[in-house]
Amino acid sequence: MAAARPQSDPTKLPRAIRQFFALLILLLLLAALWETLKWISGDPWRPDANPFGLDHNPPYRFKIASDLNLPHLWDIFAAFGKESRRNGPPLISVLFSASLFTFREAIMGFIFGGVLGFILALIFQRYALLDRGCMPYVVASQTIPILAIAPMVIIWLKAGWVSVAVIAAYLTFFPVTINTLRGLRSPEPTAVELMASYAATRRDIMWKLRLPAALPYIFTALKISATASVVGAIIGELPSGIRDGLGGAILNFNSYYITSPSRLWAAIIASALVGILFFGLVTLAERLVLRDRQAPDPV
Amino acid sequence: MEAVPVVSFDNVDKIFNRGGADETVALKSINLDIRPSEFISIIGPSGCGKSTLLRLVGDLIAPSAGTVTVNGKEAHQARLDHDYGMVFQQPVLFDWRTIQRNVELPLEVYGFDKAERQQRARELLQMVELGGFENHRPWQLSGGMQQRVSIARALATAPKLLLMDEPFGALDEMTRERMNMELHAIWRQTDTTVIFVTHSISEAVFLSNRVIVMSARPGRIMQIVDIDLPIPRGEHTRQDPALFEAERAVREWLRKAEAFSA
Ligand SMILES: Nc1ncnc2c1ncn2[C@@H]1O[C@H](COP(=O)(O)OP(=O)(O)OP(=O)(O)O)[C@@H](O)[C@H]1O
Ligand SMILES: [Mg+2]
Repeated sequence: MAAARPQSDPTKLPRAIRQFFALLILLLLLAALWETLKWISGDPWRPDANPFGLDHNPPYRFKIASDLNLPHLWDIFAAFGKESRRNGPPLISVLFSASLFTFREAIMGFIFGGVLGFILALIFQRYALLDRGCMPYVVASQTIPILAIAPMVIIWLKAGWVSVAVIAAYLTFFPVTINTLRGLRSPEPTAVELMASYAATRRDIMWKLRLPAALPYIFTALKISATASVVGAIIGELPSGIRDGLGGAILNFNSYYITSPSRLWAAIIASALVGILFFGLVTLAERLVLRDRQAPDPV
Repeated sequence: MEAVPVVSFDNVDKIFNRGGADETVALKSINLDIRPSEFISIIGPSGCGKSTLLRLVGDLIAPSAGTVTVNGKEAHQARLDHDYGMVFQQPVLFDWRTIQRNVELPLEVYGFDKAERQQRARELLQMVELGGFENHRPWQLSGGMQQRVSIARALATAPKLLLMDEPFGALDEMTRERMNMELHAIWRQTDTTVIFVTHSISEAVFLSNRVIVMSARPGRIMQIVDIDLPIPRGEHTRQDPALFEAERAVREWLRKAEAFSA
């Protein structure tokens, strides 16, 4: 009697926990490094301004470690709780709604870019001639800086979430095209021969061989696109004059940097969290879809 | 009048990368008729064009000269008509499918309904001694087990012409003998024609009506050895002096083929 379907690897759950702790330790180390730098070369630590009540005068003064350039971590976290402007709502609620707003734009850009990138890959896979003819232009399109494209897109499409999503899509379609194309071409020649021996139609070869083989490649691309779409959305907001998202918040807090640098840092942290969240969601989807594949992608 | 050959090679050449620096004459002047219900083995040194010959029958590559006819039609038409089943030298299983669904693959493409597909796949997995592994994934199986899955997959459509490229190469001696018996039984019970590539002289002789000995560079048919052992074959065949005689003859020709190639 053969063995039943093997149980899922018992080391799997601990692995997720281990990864979490690894991340936590990494973050703590970074925080320690940050504050050590300030301890050695920052502005003086006043006992009433830090949670440990320390009174300390750093031996050196480096500009990058000043309170203006590198605020204390507790000041940054405290900024989340303080009001965002005089008599305004607390910063955390402002950043939360801004994050939500930007996240929505990023998702739209992710979808636009993903669909466009995927369709381009299908076309290039089908027509090798087009691939050779057009791919250089697709690659060239990626060398044009997004900041040059963004104002044009806004003029064409009017400032709004659509133009922001299109700008985000511009950053996300390329990795999807490249990786999907690679995935569609990944089956070994004998696998294509096997399908040919069944006189399988092009469609069957696509659905039963090329697409399933391409899935791991596509997910790799989507993970790149997820974070790129957040960057794209933030950048897209700047020339659009949209003030409800993280781009607007960054622009706004940027102009008050001299008086309160922690707020900009808080906005940066919020942006990073949105990117990480999106990346995490795609990774989760990947784990679910590819759970039965051999070597799970370590990323 | 003779029956129409199942497979017919008429002056076939196969040259890879013709005109290029790495031009390879894989097959040269192949003439061969394979009769209906025949079990024919192909044996020869590595690189002599055995796989190439099977690929030509399957219309997976086109001849450089000459014609390949299958069931009286062009090989291309025969492929479109689902006239054959093929076991490749590598298992070629799809990682994203369970073993069961890998065996169902050709049936899906042919448009069998689900119940029939599942039923057939299960039966065939039993037959290749892989009952219980239906829900495993290919990468959870050993090389020999994977090759048996690919045999089950080729048999699933009950092809009238079976092209097998070293199907038992990765098996241990005992499993191989059992598989040989299974294949022999299938061949006897159905009127399947089998073209069987192998490196094993004893396997070739045990199973075949004829053994084709090939030489390399360029690949040619050196000799066709008739095996006049009574059918059905079984344990008694392994004691038959005629078996040793046939093996000796094939070995002799193989030796000549290797000398010829070197
Ligand atoms: N797709 C290809 N492109 C170029 N050359 C090829 C190709 N396929 C086979 N050949 C060449 O044709 C010759 C015959 O190859 P083939 O695979 O038919 O050998 P074989 O008899 O099956 O060998 P083995 O016993 O090792 O499987 C070899 O010299 C090989 O290099
Ligand atoms: Mg071969």
